[in-house]
Amino acid sequence: MPPAPPLLLRALSALSLLLAIVPAHAQTAEDGIMLSRQKFCTGVFFSYDTWDHYWEGTLNRVNGNIGTVTTRTLSWTGNYAVNDRLNLLVTTPYVYTNASQGVLHGQAGFQDVSLAAKFKTLSVPVRQFGALRLITVLYGALPMTNYTPDLQPLSLGTHSKRIGGRGTLNLLGKRGLYVNGTTAYTFRGNVTLDRSSYFTNDQLYLSNQVAMPNLFEFGASAGYRHNDLTLIGNFTQQQTRGGGDIRRQDMPFVSNRVNFSKAGVTLTYPLPHIHDLQYWFIYSNTFDGRNVGQSNTYTTGLLYTFNFEKRARP
Amino acid sequence: MTPVQFFRTTALFLLAVFITNCGKDISPTEQLAPLTPAVADANAGTWKMIVLSGPTQIPVPTPAAVTDPTYVAELTSIHSAQATLTDDQKANITYWSAGGVLRWNEILRELVARADLPPAPNDDGTYPVPSAANPFAYPTYPFSNPPYAARAYSYVSVAQYDALKAAWYYKFLYNRASPSKVSSSIQSLMPTTGIPSYPSEDAVEAGVNLALLKLLFPTNADEITQHANDQQQAALLSGRAAPSEIAAGIALGQAVAAIFTTRAGSDGMKNAIGTPAIWQSLADTATARGEIAWKSQDGPPRPPMLPVFGQVKAWMLTPANIIAERPAPPPSTGSSQMQTEVTEVRDTVNNLTRDQLATVYKWADGVSTVTPPGHWNAIAVPYIEAASFSEVRAARAFALLNMAMHDAAIGCWDAKYFYFNPRPSQMSPDIKVMTGLPNFPAYVSGHSDFSAAGADVLSYLFPSQAAYFSSQMQEAAMSRLYAGIHYRSDIMAGLSQGKRIGDYTVRFAASDGAN
Repeated sequence: MPPAPPLLLRALSALSLLLAIVPAHAQTAEDGIMLSRQKFCTGVFFSYDTWDHYWEGTLNRVNGNIGTVTTRTLSWTGNYAVNDRLNLLVTTPYVYTNASQGVLHGQAGFQDVSLAAKFKTLSVPVRQFGALRLITVLYGALPMTNYTPDLQPLSLGTHSKRIGGRGTLNLLGKRGLYVNGTTAYTFRGNVTLDRSSYFTNDQLYLSNQVAMPNLFEFGASAGYRHNDLTLIGNFTQQQTRGGGDIRRQDMPFVSNRVNFSKAGVTLTYPLPHIHDLQYWFIYSNTFDGRNVGQSNTYTTGLLYTFNFEKRARP
Repeated sequence: MTPVQFFRTTALFLLAVFITNCGKDISPTEQLAPLTPAVADANAGTWKMIVLSGPTQIPVPTPAAVTDPTYVAELTSIHSAQATLTDDQKANITYWSAGGVLRWNEILRELVARADLPPAPNDDGTYPVPSAANPFAYPTYPFSNPPYAARAYSYVSVAQYDALKAAWYYKFLYNRASPSKVSSSIQSLMPTTGIPSYPSEDAVEAGVNLALLKLLFPTNADEITQHANDQQQAALLSGRAAPSEIAAGIALGQAVAAIFTTRAGSDGMKNAIGTPAIWQSLADTATARGEIAWKSQDGPPRPPMLPVFGQVKAWMLTPANIIAERPAPPPSTGSSQMQTEVTEVRDTVNNLTRDQLATVYKWADGVSTVTPPGHWNAIAVPYIEAASFSEVRAARAFALLNMAMHDAAIGCWDAKYFYFNPRPSQMSPDIKVMTGLPNFPAYVSGHSDFSAAGADVLSYLFPSQAAYFSSQMQEAAMSRLYAGIHYRSDIMAGLSQGKRIGDYTVRFAASDGAN
């Protein structure tokens, strides 16, 4: 066998260094981090989302009939690494909604189970610096219960089946630089209402079926990530590819054109003395939007990783 | 197959299934078959009028003879227009061939839903009022709330019905056959009806609806005009009516609409909103009786919805009849029965089944909807369509239905403001509701009143379906208890009042000459 060219050697050594810093934990379908094989990472998140201002179409306002709308979400989540290239993720949220003013009844119940398959499609070493990876994700969501989508903004969700694809480009440096860019497109199935007609987008529809516009999303993150300690800043924008605006003083409707821009931070921290347990904190603020609450969202959670691999990695 | 390959294949399959299933077109309009009337109703010119003094109150001149050169030229123009029909024109003919009465009812429901939004509050916590004199300024005119809508549905339906009876009188007086029958060179692109075509019933409908819809929903004038033009064009291009038959129909329709416009200007609607002094006196009167007075729970508190609507002119009831049909008082707000009813509301709304919640949303009919009267119009549509009623008989069905519901609205609003009874969520602030809380007193339930009146008339018109209409009425009424916005006694008294008021219209129908 001829000697390996020096370039390939360098690449392989970079790759082995990279493998050494692949984190034990990864969670979301949006990030560029893969869980390594035969591991199962699971945990519980609690999210507290609150807004009193919202965009009625493009008009930012408050509403004395709802006051502050609070959505609390308790989620179980799991991520199983079939191998180093494929992770399967599942999340089941239980949602509570509440309005601080007015007489509308808050809602509570299981919302939509989401499933995702996350593939490490490409991984390229960047000299001695780190690695650039392309992650692709196929995901879908199904309503878990027969909750109503017709009491926006207090409904648990939109009750729409969804399927979509995501591409994420991630640069992870050996010294902890983390840069992530992601984009996604979600197809949404028709929603069935309990009523036989509805008015939206300046038209009366004589049907109980509501066509749901699709969603386009992109985001960018940057920060520090090393040895399971993460501190990154995030930006996300969602654009709904159709749908009507909330009219003046109208209730929101399930197929409204919901657009938003959010910014925030993510912190993950490996708890001292407890091996494989990781604490998460996420904050995000909706600073611009359309037909959506100007919300602050605080998420906190704990994730534990089980390692099923019997033998040591080569 | 590796797990990855398996997963990719499955995912692609799911994606393909999903894409083929989603993006299904949702047709905004009703899918209605072309109308071939089962009966021509040749005697409809003798049926009892409601507002007109008789079928000849508006004169319709004798048409020219079929040999007259101007009429012959009209036939030639139809023939040549039919030779170059565009796809849009063909689609327009198909749309209107379902019958203009059904189509205009569909259009009216859309206008109601579009205008069914309360004004947003001013910064100082007061509310602006829509102005008929300046309809395009915010808040646009009108706010088509349930009483406004009940009245609108009734005006359009009754005017159209009286105008079509007059049209039928002249049709069978002059017996002018349709262009497609007079001239073999003209195709009949709508079902032939055997009904004489002078004056054109399509044009009569277009004339009535053009004038009254513009009066009631002035900001939609362009769209309304377009529909009226489309209907006339469909009648012409389908070979059903010649230009002179359409012109006579438009003139008749507009003249009848003018009579109803005058009535609408003096029926009391202008004063229905009341004044701050009236609003205060309603509360004071209830308090003086020792009752807890209704309070707005909107944020900020909003003046009550149309507190003087109970004095608007009814179709079948005199003001004395309205007072006679006023229900007995609700349970006193201090009574133990009231406490029992409040408890029932709380227990119900906090322990709803999914079926009950579905009933709440099926019947919510709140903002941006066709309102409860519109919902009952929608319920009537498939039965009117299936019966293949002539246009004049279809107009009768909608007129009877909407007169009864308008009158029920008046009786209901009279009771609401006479008693000024608080909602369950005012009596007990821990009661939260499942749909928008209407901004007017509780007793009696409007849904129950409208639905009992509507079901009463529809059961008279379609007796074999009475059980179905009754089940819908019960569902609509009980949906308000499930939603947490009405006590059981509101519902029971509303159902009873709606039936009694509906009976006035049913008694009229039994002797109107159409049976």
